[in-house]
Amino acid sequence: MTRTLLQVRELSKRFKEREVVKGISFNITEGSCAALLGPNGAGKTTTISMLAGLLQPSGGSIELLVNGSPTTDRRPYIGFLPQMPVFYPWMTGVEFLLYAGELAGLTSREVKSETGEWLEAVGLREAGKRRIGSYSGGMKQRLGLAQALIHRPKLLILDEPVSALDPTGRKDVLTLLQRIRRETTVLFSTHVLHDAEEICDEIIMIRNGDIALQGSLDHVRRTYSEPVIRLEVGGDEASRSWLTAACGKDFVIHSEVSGGRAKMKVANVEQASRALMADAVSHRIMIRSLEAGHSTLEDLFLKVVQA
Amino acid sequence: MDTMNSSIPWNLIMPLIVLQLILAVVGLLSLYKAEATRGPKWLWVIIILCGNIPGSVVYFVFGRKDAS
Amino acid sequence: MRQFLLFFRKEMMEMRRSFKWLWVPLVFLMLGIIQPVVTRFMPQILESSGNLPKGMTITIEPPSGSEVMAQTLGQYNSVGLMILVLSIMTLISGERQSGVSQMIFAKPVSYVSYAAAKWASMLSLVTASFVLGYAGAWYYTMQMIGNVETGAAVKAGLLYLLWLWFTGSLTLLMSSLLNPAAGIAFVSIGAAILLSMASGWLPRFTAYSPGSLPQISVRWLQASDAPAGAFGAAILCLMCMIFFFMIAAYQVKIRKSNV
Repeated sequence: MTRTLLQVRELSKRFKEREVVKGISFNITEGSCAALLGPNGAGKTTTISMLAGLLQPSGGSIELLVNGSPTTDRRPYIGFLPQMPVFYPWMTGVEFLLYAGELAGLTSREVKSETGEWLEAVGLREAGKRRIGSYSGGMKQRLGLAQALIHRPKLLILDEPVSALDPTGRKDVLTLLQRIRRETTVLFSTHVLHDAEEICDEIIMIRNGDIALQGSLDHVRRTYSEPVIRLEVGGDEASRSWLTAACGKDFVIHSEVSGGRAKMKVANVEQASRALMADAVSHRIMIRSLEAGHSTLEDLFLKVVQA
Repeated sequence: MDTMNSSIPWNLIMPLIVLQLILAVVGLLSLYKAEATRGPKWLWVIIILCGNIPGSVVYFVFGRKDAS
Repeated sequence: MRQFLLFFRKEMMEMRRSFKWLWVPLVFLMLGIIQPVVTRFMPQILESSGNLPKGMTITIEPPSGSEVMAQTLGQYNSVGLMILVLSIMTLISGERQSGVSQMIFAKPVSYVSYAAAKWASMLSLVTASFVLGYAGAWYYTMQMIGNVETGAAVKAGLLYLLWLWFTGSLTLLMSSLLNPAAGIAFVSIGAAILLSMASGWLPRFTAYSPGSLPQISVRWLQASDAPAGAFGAAILCLMCMIFFFMIAAYQVKIRKSNV
């Protein structure tokens, strides 16, 4: 089942002089979970708002394919949760879900059973009878998820669903998402790589309104991971100067030193670590730790963001 | 002129006072139930109680927060 | 149609829970009652203020019932207008500002139904409040002052209601165009006052202006015959309302949220 669900071509958005999204293209496969990853101000929310139909694109196209054919109005097939969802404080959770469900086109009978089901699913069965004005941030996020899912959309779009939450709220929502992604295609934006790694299989990294890299998580990990040695020595003067000198050796392609720690990109991890250890012994330097491995996605993310 | 100086028709004045009381009570009730207001609640209590009709109106228009 | 009813039901529920359905009609009713009461006791009030030289008596020509009704409409044209604008100014801008509109408009909803529900709820609130207040004023005037001619009072009331509808529509239009509540209130009240004053200054050029409606209704009460331009002003007023509605619905569509 690798049919394309969402097809975005050369999507761009200009606000007056500033081009916030600069012609990005990507596909989302049915049944996948994709993360739109990028630092703050990269254009994530703008992109998401255009996908959700809240913002008119300046250029490019967005197409949602239902059963292989494009739709004229994609709103019935999309569920959307904005960053920090706002509700009517005078409504109860149940009332808002009924309202949202009927607006999405469910019949009043359907909406009643769906409301009960989703309140249960997001853990708001009891709180549903209370006014939303008294809800915590995490409860609002969960209610927001329920209202986005009530009409069983083909694509669920979430804008920074966990970044404003405390650790407990974050865990709740991520657990929910893990369950939801089995039933529907999910696209969400985040600036936290960890969240993306936890539930996604596709990532789209954007920076300054452009796609920096995209692909499946496995593919990105394989393609972009580099042999890296992490080295830590004592804090004394001799050890430090040795570390700086070691970074200048010819097998080190690239290095970063901070305090007594160094991260070195090398061609061959095995050879490099042997050479380093031998060198350290001959200089009577104490190595506190040496880790030979590969760069993580975190390194890649930081590199992409800072480049 | 005689009719003008006749005793005050309380049966017609009373409703006005009652209406004003209702307005103040509704204002206080709404204030009590409100999750959040602009400015401290005690200040709104004073405004509603001492501000007659305009006081309550000002509370209803500016005191309540609509979004959450 | 189903979406219109959904939106309308929500608007009504919001107005009920925010006590708007209580305080706006209540204030309009009090505004209506106060004028005849004050007029009736004006001599006593002046007397008790006690600044008159001894022996001097005040003789105020007691106003007729129709005149008091006309004065009541004058009250509505200042305080009433302000209350009306303040009570509905954030009807459209509020949801856009807070961000609720993001969730609403990501759903397959009709913008015309959305705007129409706002209009319908505004018209219901305005109509109920004014009818209640006007009826109160009428009853009190009959009790305390004197007779009011039924036909003239009804026609004047209807024309004045039309003017309130116009002001309400103008406010909703501004609510769809602007964000800050103060700006919406200022522009709406300012435009309404300017329109209604302009018809006093330049009666020849504003014969059919909606702003002449308050004056026409006052004249109707006092003269009890149909003033010229009433029909034209009413038609033009309704056309303006439809026009305002169309612009607002379009604004709602292109400015779904502030983000």
